[in-house]
Amino acid sequence: MTDTTVAPPAPAPAEAPPGNQALAKAALLLLRGRTLVVLVVLVAFFSAISPEYLTQSNLILMTKHVAINAILAIGVTFVILTGGIDLSVGSIAGLASMVSGGLLFTGLALPGGTVFFSVAVVILIGIVVGALVGAVNGLLVTRFKVAPFIATLGMLYVARGVAQLRSDGGTFPDLAGTPERGNQGFHVIGVDSLLGIPVAVWIMAAVAAAAIVVTTRTPFGRRVYAVGGNERAAVLSGIRVNRVKIAVYVISGACAALAGLLLTSELGAAYPDTATTYELNAIAAAVLGGTALAGGRGTIIGTVMGAFVIGFLSDGLVLVGVSTFWQSVVKGAVIVFAVITEQAQQRLQSGLAKRTA
Amino acid sequence: MRKLSGILLPIGMAAVLAVAACGSDSGSGTGDAASPSAGAGGSKLMVIITPSPDNVFFKAEQDAAAAQAKKLGYETLVLSHDDDPTKQSQEIDTAISRKAAAIILDNAGADSSVAAIQRAKDAGIPTFLIDREINKTGVAVAQIVSNNAQGAGLGGQEFAKLMGGKGEYAELTGKATDTNAGVRSQGYHGVLDQYPDLKMVAQQSANWDQAEALTKTQTILQAHPNIKGIIAGNDTMALGAYAAVQAAGKKIIVVGFDGSPDVVSSILKDGIKATVLQPASQISEMAVDQADAYIKSGKASQPEKQSVDCVLVNPDNAKSVTDFAVAGS
Repeated sequence: MTDTTVAPPAPAPAEAPPGNQALAKAALLLLRGRTLVVLVVLVAFFSAISPEYLTQSNLILMTKHVAINAILAIGVTFVILTGGIDLSVGSIAGLASMVSGGLLFTGLALPGGTVFFSVAVVILIGIVVGALVGAVNGLLVTRFKVAPFIATLGMLYVARGVAQLRSDGGTFPDLAGTPERGNQGFHVIGVDSLLGIPVAVWIMAAVAAAAIVVTTRTPFGRRVYAVGGNERAAVLSGIRVNRVKIAVYVISGACAALAGLLLTSELGAAYPDTATTYELNAIAAAVLGGTALAGGRGTIIGTVMGAFVIGFLSDGLVLVGVSTFWQSVVKGAVIVFAVITEQAQQRLQSGLAKRTA
Repeated sequence: MRKLSGILLPIGMAAVLAVAACGSDSGSGTGDAASPSAGAGGSKLMVIITPSPDNVFFKAEQDAAAAQAKKLGYETLVLSHDDDPTKQSQEIDTAISRKAAAIILDNAGADSSVAAIQRAKDAGIPTFLIDREINKTGVAVAQIVSNNAQGAGLGGQEFAKLMGGKGEYAELTGKATDTNAGVRSQGYHGVLDQYPDLKMVAQQSANWDQAEALTKTQTILQAHPNIKGIIAGNDTMALGAYAAVQAAGKKIIVVGFDGSPDVVSSILKDGIKATVLQPASQISEMAVDQADAYIKSGKASQPEKQSVDCVLVNPDNAKSVTDFAVAGS
């Protein structure tokens, strides 16, 4: 019984009884399948209405739009798996955008003069800033025992405010860089393509692959699930819970910063309101993908699928020319509907688990 | 003893309040009794409230108003309501509690702002609206806006000319709750709908937002690959649309509205084709000047509704545009 509560459904640990393992796998398939079914229905629906929906170029474009939310959502999923929540990811994306945009546009003013960094360094700094903000979230949650909702809600405001302070509210309009500053090429990550696929999509694939490996194949991944499944049990089994928690907020912050940079690169401009309210889209993607807000249950693949559902839905509505207001109504309804089906499946799952136990 | 203090305390407090109230009464009584600004009690504070300075247009508006107010010897408090009427209402309360001499406001909603402005008026603080109107007269002292209808007409004409009077186009509209979004869209269509061969194949709101304009334009271009032009309700959306056009490697005519420096420089680089300049700085300065006159004289120097004409910016005159003003116009 302890096995089923502490261990994640995926991957079913080898020591679980074979019956339970099979059930967990079947339930997992159902959970995954649900998001996939919704996605297939969406694609079929929009393809029937608009011949442009199911074209190669539109699929690539929609995937590119998905990439930003998916990367945010993957980071948030780590946090939610531990039973926490990260409301600050949109603001962290905005902050990273402003920090990097500022470094490209105005440089770093030092006493000896203004310094410009190469694009790679600028991107790295942006991600490190995101990770550091995440670390602060983690410390607030662990060391200062602030509830994750409150700690990251506070950070939502603080990070956004700092982003606005960076430019006094203004926009950094041109991030193309100049040869003499040696900082050209920021557009590569957000605008360019590699083998016909946007670089942003490759980055999303890489982040997703890494996250899948980490959650399913590493001791750290198992600890993340353990902390979220039953924190007391995790403590008693010798897991350094605080370390795990800080690590997930760092991951979330870094992912958020990366998403912010992709968005900024694509836009070619950094403005302090970048990615406002994107945290809600990210959390919605995770929940749609079957991640339980209580922690301990969920998968990266599910989250990515959730992001695809949200993105393909929003783009589909724009493509067929539905008004903004209806877009909002439909999106909200789909999210709530997804959670209702998730709850139903949870009941089914626990019913099955009880019968076999 | 306890009982006594229980009675005396409220009485004492009431007495203090009464004295305080009398104090402020007599203070204003020494001034011009007919002055509606009497409640301000000789304050030298001008509160400037605009949407987020994130958009350079509002930044220019704020800066011009603050600079002019300082020049006339006022203290300033600059706030942003981020297009949230609730936040705006709280900021107006702040202005009331700080006993501001006047409020310069670019409001957060034509209807949802009326009550808050009325509250300021009841507290004796005059409000001067800039850039956006409200759906009620007699509440604010002045409503100084750029002539959006006239400006949109200019933008529409230029767009139709650039399109050669025919072809498919898309429109990006602003936030639906903002009067200007509707006025500009109507202004565009007042011209464009007269061309039977100009066909609008998509119309979406991008909520004045650059990133939203980018993604929506990309999707619209998927649905309608033959689009020849995109007309946007403001410059931030035009910039977002143009980023999408560039990413798609297409040649598409993009026209904006505002006259922001970023779009002007894009016009000079043969990117975006045209925009309509709103004299933001001039409007801010007019509002501050009129507020100053009102504070001093107690009456409005101009009619409430005032409109300032917009100017078309295209490659011909883009060079002479700086900070929302065309040199020599």
